[in-house]
Amino acid sequence: MLEVANVEAGYGKIQILNNLSLSAKENKLTLLIGPNGAGKSTLLKTIFGFVTPSKGSIRFQGEEISGLPSHKLANLGIGFLLQRVSVFPDLTIEENLKLGAWSFKKDSARVAQRIECMYEKFPILKQKRSESAGLMSGGQKRMLEIARTLMPGPRLILVDEPSAGLSPKIAKEVYRVLHELRDEGITLLMVDQNIRESIGYSDHVYVLERGQVSSESAADEIEKNLKQVVESWLKF
Amino acid sequence: MNELSPLLAQLVNGLIIGSIYGLMALGLTVIFGVLKIVNFSHGEFYMLGAYASYFVSQTMGLHPVAGIFVAILATFFLGVLIEKALLTPLYENKVERKDEYALLITFGLSLFLINMALAVFGPFQKSAPALTGGTIDLGVITLSSGKVLAALIAIALLLIMLFIINKTWLGTALRAISQDRDTSAIMGINAKRLGSIAFGLGACMAGAAGALLGPVFLVYPIMGTVPAIKSFVIIVLGSMGSIKGAIYGSLLVGLVESLGVFFLSPAYRDVYSFLILILILLFKPKGLFGGAQWNN
Repeated sequence: MLEVANVEAGYGKIQILNNLSLSAKENKLTLLIGPNGAGKSTLLKTIFGFVTPSKGSIRFQGEEISGLPSHKLANLGIGFLLQRVSVFPDLTIEENLKLGAWSFKKDSARVAQRIECMYEKFPILKQKRSESAGLMSGGQKRMLEIARTLMPGPRLILVDEPSAGLSPKIAKEVYRVLHELRDEGITLLMVDQNIRESIGYSDHVYVLERGQVSSESAADEIEKNLKQVVESWLKF
Repeated sequence: MNELSPLLAQLVNGLIIGSIYGLMALGLTVIFGVLKIVNFSHGEFYMLGAYASYFVSQTMGLHPVAGIFVAILATFFLGVLIEKALLTPLYENKVERKDEYALLITFGLSLFLINMALAVFGPFQKSAPALTGGTIDLGVITLSSGKVLAALIAIALLLIMLFIINKTWLGTALRAISQDRDTSAIMGINAKRLGSIAFGLGACMAGAAGALLGPVFLVYPIMGTVPAIKSFVIIVLGSMGSIKGAIYGSLLVGLVESLGVFFLSPAYRDVYSFLILILILLFKPKGLFGGAQWNN
């Protein structure tokens, strides 16, 4: 589904990703873990075109996407859930959802049908449809962000720290929803610091260190020696 | 009642001029909201709009109202082109100090357009024909039909803009970009292209204001300076970036100016709006609609 090969990228003169290669398999939840500064979020930004790679290739469904401007990726079927709050605070919930359908805005019947579909999945959004999104609680904003990402029916979603800043109860709910998405056939590539929680929901895990993949394995395998992996990060 | 009619006439006059300033201030607000820059060449789009309309009605002999539409189209496309040519480096991470870049570019553009107008149109003041002749007699006061028509067109254009901003896909996307540029890119919105359109829309509102006020004042190369300064006053006193603020602020400035003319002296017409600005900022440093967002 997504193949990242020998990618190098960074900000200005500071290189963050060093010859990094990994892949996200179809219908799987692939998890990226690693110490702070390993380049996890930078990798997602590079895939989505916010950071331009200086080397390497990024292919989505066989098509080269590195160097494409970010706004073209939505049309290809890639979604991106940012770590920070990313609802448009002064737009209503319904307007937020509508913008998720920007790539097929001319098909108003489909837009309305997708919005209804999201209201069914997340009833709280329907209740508050004409309120400003900025007035919602942190957990509700996250649900709106997920619903908005799902509007165009993406094939792949990049997820950056889905539980950041949320209470444990709501974080659990977010993981449950993400897991459901995978079961519905959406491929997920997720970065998470909340390793203990997220590893149980993943299929495959990559460990990133200093901008490279230092190891990879099936999720259940790494779960067994998680302690060793985390301890090894503390050495440098 | 008859003693009051000069006052009433001034008030109505203030509202008429205020609604046209409103167009100009709303244009500045749209550009500021989406592109996060202050357009120091706004007054020159006002001037170009006035010239466009003047030439359509004087040289080509068409109706002055047709001139307004030509002015709107011309300044829209000129705005789009200028944004594409001069302002896109802002979003390609080519510019380190974006605010200073935008300030210098738009200020330079203002000087360039003024001098170009001097070279092309000459320094002489031209008087544009009224939109329509005759007067409207309301019993207490008599209004010039041309001015009333200008105000009605200004209000119609304001309503169209508000409709575009609040009810259309384009407007929703523009509001989204003004709030969070990266997230709108994730939605698939091409912020660069819409930024050009936003600049064009802002410029054409100034152009429309110039075309509407051309017959009231006179048409000459530096005619945009004072209205531009007034629109800065309006958007600052109404809170930078607030649409509500731009509209109410312009009506307030229009009214205060005409009351000042009536009670104090017409010689200081341009001073009154600054007095109001100083007073409002003294008591409400964030402006009338402080903290309000672009779409309110």
